[in-house]
Amino acid sequence: MMPKPPRSLVWSWIGLVLLLALTLGMAFVPLGRANIAVALAVAAAKAIIVLLVFMELARGHSLKLIFAGAGLFWLIIMFGLSFTDYATRTGFPPAH
Amino acid sequence: MRQQAEAATLGIWVFLATEVLFFSGMLLAYTVLRHAYPEGFAEAGRETKIVIGSVNTAVLLTSSATMAWAVHAAKAGHRKLLTILLIATAALGLVFVGLKGLEYSQEYAEHLVPGLNFSSDSPHAHAIELFYFLYFALTGIHALHLSIGIVIVGIMAWRASHGAFGPTYHTPVEVTGLYWHFVDLVWIFLYPLIYLNGRSGG
Repeated sequence: MMPKPPRSLVWSWIGLVLLLALTLGMAFVPLGRANIAVALAVAAAKAIIVLLVFMELARGHSLKLIFAGAGLFWLIIMFGLSFTDYATRTGFPPAH
Repeated sequence: MRQQAEAATLGIWVFLATEVLFFSGMLLAYTVLRHAYPEGFAEAGRETKIVIGSVNTAVLLTSSATMAWAVHAAKAGHRKLLTILLIATAALGLVFVGLKGLEYSQEYAEHLVPGLNFSSDSPHAHAIELFYFLYFALTGIHALHLSIGIVIVGIMAWRASHGAFGPTYHTPVEVTGLYWHFVDLVWIFLYPLIYLNGRSGG
């Protein structure tokens, strides 16, 4: 007899595939600058499912959350500080 | 034993946090260049192989689900099911790498590989070349991570078939799973940046 997969995993997988279909469809709808925002929001939703259900981030030792959060924290610092420069520069890219 | 398992799980989370920064250097380069050359990046994005990219996303998401199921099977002591699920996970990984290889060969045939044969008559050729440089760097390093994952999952499947894991000892399967899901997470973000970029315009 083949044991059945845990229900939470089945629902997560269905959710992930539906989100993939959603983001693929939305990519062809002209929304201007909102296209990338929608695409990244769907990616973030998928990432939350993977982190919470598959990787069980919220279960067990709470130190895990701090370690995972550190990765995100430095990522935000890197992008944040870099874009205080690039987003405000008027001469970028340099003229050839 | 419990403390050892916790230490191993925390260790892989520290490793994954450093991996986030490893990939995000390239993602920062992508963001800056996309900001600088929006038309060129949109044009390059439209040339990517969206069918292969989307199928591969579904393959990888499914492999993460089988991997998570494998961890449950290990905890429950289902030795045979665990072995089958680990083999399925590795096999899905191989499908992904195979499709990626097919995609690369098509891109080589279309003269899209910077440093080897890149050529384009578009007015945005320079930006398109930059996009493909980052595309090969990001997806190449991702595929390398996945290949390492396939080998580790394969080793876990071999050990599982010999009864190495059970309800009291399954940390290696759990740690392998966390690594596998991380590689999936990277792809979840690469997919919209590479394949969905520029689809609605032009």
